[in-house]
Amino acid sequence: MAIVIQPYRPEHEPAVAEFNQRLRQAGADENMTFYRHAQPRWLPRTAESRIYNEFFVAIDGGIVRGGYALKSQEFLFPDERIRSIGYYHHPLSEGIVNKAHAIVGTLLLRDAMQRAPLLYCLGMGGYNNPLPQMLVRMGWAHCLVPFFFRVVNPSRFLRNIQALRASRARRFLMDLAAYSGAGWLGSKLFHHYRALGAPSSPAVESHEVASFDTDDIARSVQSLWEQARQTCSFAAVRDAEALRILYPPAQTHLTRIVLKRDGTPIGWAVVGERRSDSKYGDMRVASIVDCFALPGELFSVVRSATETLERQGFDLVLSNQNHQAWGAAFKAAGYLPGPSNFIFAASKKLAELLAPFDEVRPRMLLTRADGDGLPANF
Amino acid sequence: MTASVFEQVRNVASDIFGIPADKITAESSPETIENWDSMQHLNLVLAVEEKFGVQLDPEDIEQMKNIGAVAKLVEKLQSATR
Repeated sequence: MAIVIQPYRPEHEPAVAEFNQRLRQAGADENMTFYRHAQPRWLPRTAESRIYNEFFVAIDGGIVRGGYALKSQEFLFPDERIRSIGYYHHPLSEGIVNKAHAIVGTLLLRDAMQRAPLLYCLGMGGYNNPLPQMLVRMGWAHCLVPFFFRVVNPSRFLRNIQALRASRARRFLMDLAAYSGAGWLGSKLFHHYRALGAPSSPAVESHEVASFDTDDIARSVQSLWEQARQTCSFAAVRDAEALRILYPPAQTHLTRIVLKRDGTPIGWAVVGERRSDSKYGDMRVASIVDCFALPGELFSVVRSATETLERQGFDLVLSNQNHQAWGAAFKAAGYLPGPSNFIFAASKKLAELLAPFDEVRPRMLLTRADGDGLPANF
Repeated sequence: MTASVFEQVRNVASDIFGIPADKITAESSPETIENWDSMQHLNLVLAVEEKFGVQLDPEDIEQMKNIGAVAKLVEKLQSATR
């Protein structure tokens, strides 16, 4: 039987359930399951939607052997044109548990490249994983999206951060620092030192809003997009309509912040609590998921977003930011760069429009919001 | 399938899978070659495209279930471009 890749429809759901069951029975990681429902719950395609998700399945004689998701979204390009491009995510092949289906992974990726030649991948967990290795082998342009973190509660950080507590000696020293107060003191000194070099900016008004959809807020974010888009060489369109779709009021776990100075909007941010992850122990971890601002106002936005999360009682704040100006703003606000495993990769056709990649890359606006992290996996 | 194309495909596969060419037959497949996983399948696709100057669509890749099938596919694509 020939393998056919086609849109995932409700009649495929029983075969997808069997596919998921075969993966589980063969010992695949419990996260390795394909979507149970054919209709995407996040960004389903509608007649008028500009940002939408679609699912595709690889079917071999009625048996599902794999699948992938494709998000379509408008991006601003270096030539200032707006194009709709594809984001390839959640590919899953039975080849991971049965070599007889080794062919499926390549088929899925090639199929996505045919449907959306301007295609990108984001995240992927580092270069050791099969997908980024495939993309590199296929000649995709790629880079790591820098990762930043700010320790709010040093004591809980020292007692919970698993990556640093790798040996008994380290655990002992970190516990000592946590319980003696040395960690707290060190953190205070660091943030005090950083604050000395931080840009001074007049106070801003920070407004937490339930939605980007009200007239006043929509006008503000639309105006910000139009004024500041030229600071980016490549960015997902973040106009009022896009924010309305990406951050609907129903996502109550997200906090939307609009910053104004003297009544004039200067930027916005979306923040939220990160899903629990064993590598952070029982810390409360938040993420600055997305942000945008007028030139010169980035630091104010990062600082306000951070203060909001500190008030909410988080122990650690994380963010992935590719744009170099945002990276500088995060550092000025007391964030430290950490090792990143968050990869951006662009298909050859997409990379042609981002050439020269090394020159375009520093001003590409890429955050967790451009991946599959929304609505909850950030 | 001509012997020449089969030999060339077999040599490509030998390089990718790291096994002697004489151990590879037309029936060799992911089930008989230990290293033939998803990643190596992609490497095989890319190597075939490069070696024979052909572009493989998903429909073509789907046929690459064993070495003999790969050689037949290459012959078909080469004759179509002549």
